[in-house]
Amino acid sequence: MLSIPSDIWQDMIEHARALDPHECCGILAGTDDHVTMQYRITNILARMHDEADLAHFDQAKLSDLKNLTPEERADVAFQMDAQEMSLAQKDIRQKGMTLKAFYHSHTFSPARPSLTDVTIAMEFENYRERLNIPEPYHVIISLEDKERPVIRAYRIQESQATEIPVQRRSLPV
Amino acid sequence: MITVRIPTPLRPMTEGKSEVEGKGTTIGELIDQLNAAHPGFKDRVCDERGEIRRFINVYLNEEDIRFLTGKDTPVKDGDEVSIVPAIAGGTHG
Ligand SMILES: [Zn+2]
Repeated sequence: MLSIPSDIWQDMIEHARALDPHECCGILAGTDDHVTMQYRITNILARMHDEADLAHFDQAKLSDLKNLTPEERADVAFQMDAQEMSLAQKDIRQKGMTLKAFYHSHTFSPARPSLTDVTIAMEFENYRERLNIPEPYHVIISLEDKERPVIRAYRIQESQATEIPVQRRSLPV
Repeated sequence: MITVRIPTPLRPMTEGKSEVEGKGTTIGELIDQLNAAHPGFKDRVCDERGEIRRFINVYLNEEDIRFLTGKDTPVKDGDEVSIVPAIAGGTHG
């Protein structure tokens, strides 16, 4: 279970809307099941003009991306800025919190991890334990219906995505 | 020797190996030496200005070298260096 306070829930939707049609991405942190902090991370795809920067993507996705302009690539994919991701991880550690989830938006498809999402999440699994990072959930914000954004969370293990319950927590008055 | 962990996307540069051994007194030297052993390696890790690419983090043991002294970070025998791409994803396929 992942419990997200309503202000962060709302900010993730605003983040997705602000970047639409580009995908947005970020990190959620907290303790136990409770998210208490959010970090917006830059999706750097729109500014990556060098094909070597796309090395992360699998062959199928890569041939897709190569046919697009950098701006168009950010509509169908995201790449977190590594430095911002690392700074967020450091801040989370210093505050005694735990990285709970990575989030990103799908601006015109459902809130389900794509094959590329799963492949890259599994790649992260390969070194996560060695770097002392707890298993993250993967949260997706779908703007497929612009009026009704959908947020879902998943566990990605052994190349399988399993939905986990996600709760919008009201803030104490 | 220094053990360097290679992420899947960069393994075409290292004949498919997930770990290679390297030498050097700094991260920068280590990258140059790996490039000599695996031509093209540096170009995949560093941009045209020689900086680590924006989608990659390089860890010395458990610390990001950006929080140490970047490419000047000293390395010694027995150290482990991990090249770690930041999280990414795609909508279709
Ligand atoms: Zn996705």
